[in-house]
Amino acid sequence: MMMSNSPGDFHCLSLGEDQEELFTENSNSNVVDTQFDIIIGYIEDIIMEEKFQTLQNSFLERFYKEFEETEENKFIYTDIHKEYVNVLEKCLEDELSMRVPDFSMIEFTKQIIERKSELDGEIFEILLTFSDFVAFKDMFLDYRAAKEGKTVDLSTGLTITSYSEMPCDRGEINFGQN
Amino acid sequence: MGLLTILKKMKQKEKEVRLLMLGLDNAGKTTILKKFNGEDIDTISPTLGFNIKTLEHRGFKLNVWDVGGQRSLRSYWRNYFESTDGLIWVVDSADRMRIQDCKQELHSLLLEERLAGSTLLVFANKQDLPGSLSSEDIKKMLDLDNIKSHHWRILPCSAVTGEHLLEGIDWTIDDIASRIFTMD
Ligand SMILES: Nc1nc2c(ncn2[C@@H]2O[C@H](COP(=O)(O)OP(=O)(O)OP(=O)(O)O)[C@@H](O)[C@H]2O)c(=O)[nH]1
Ligand SMILES: [Mg+2]
Repeated sequence: MMMSNSPGDFHCLSLGEDQEELFTENSNSNVVDTQFDIIIGYIEDIIMEEKFQTLQNSFLERFYKEFEETEENKFIYTDIHKEYVNVLEKCLEDELSMRVPDFSMIEFTKQIIERKSELDGEIFEILLTFSDFVAFKDMFLDYRAAKEGKTVDLSTGLTITSYSEMPCDRGEINFGQN
Repeated sequence: MGLLTILKKMKQKEKEVRLLMLGLDNAGKTTILKKFNGEDIDTISPTLGFNIKTLEHRGFKLNVWDVGGQRSLRSYWRNYFESTDGLIWVVDSADRMRIQDCKQELHSLLLEERLAGSTLLVFANKQDLPGSLSSEDIKKMLDLDNIKSHHWRILPCSAVTGEHLLEGIDWTIDDIASRIFTMD
């Protein structure tokens, strides 16, 4: 979606083969980089907007109690992850489509994964929670720890919790399973 | 291609591989996973959900998914098929009683569209146990020679001694890499 990858434009310059390749490669990746950066800028805006924030918060609020600090994962995490992607990635995608013509989330997510190691910061963490289950789980565990004012004692692995019982409303999402 | 371009490409291409480890309960999936990761394997209980480990090996980033194999959990397996590059099917070679069950489960997986094209490694695990079936026996009993839909290989192994585990993973990576990472 980002670029038509046609080196044809440069043939008339009749550069040596090596130079031509280098030139083409560089121009291509520059355009891709710029597009990528523009989209990142939009995403920054969107995730700060109230619409996204509210959705994300209510999602975390609704499900954080399902998540536990155990190594093994429960099957329900996968259902919650699916639902999370449906709701939040959808919101982001809709907002982006309004700003970027022909936006493709799938393409963009691929780029993000490829560039994972180069990137950091809050946006990337949020984007990773869509495509990377471990990042998603960590987000929930962090939220739960913060929510419950947990102090994690790493020496014993024990946790001290102050816990406010809140009814966990799961009525709206149907996990009708297999 | 200029040096800068090459460097950039190398940095961008994190070679990620997704491996899905399945098999009947008690086959040794979680034990294999932990053994790989250099963790203690003495206190492993049956998996009721799933485990994920990310291992760095030979410049590849392996995301290994290990899902519980009890009968009641097998209907969840399908939730983990997506994007699988390699399927590792673990067999308890000492469990002669359930080898038919094992065969059926494997062959129905191979029909799954979302696993089409994935590499299949069969681990004939628990070779350290006396009386365990050989990998040759298991190959016949699981009817592996009839598999035409996937690249496959069977290896005898033991999660306890570690025998052949690495060889299996290396073959799996090589097979996947020859399909996926050939372009540069
Ligand atoms: N002797 C021997 N025992 C093994 C070997 N691999 C696993 N075991 C034992 O077999 C039992 C089951 O191992 P797990 O790793 O929990 O099996 P699993 O496939 O993960 O089982 P589920 O989680 O129920 O699907 C454990 O008691 C292990 O110690 C092996 O190579 N040799
Ligand atoms: Mg297990």
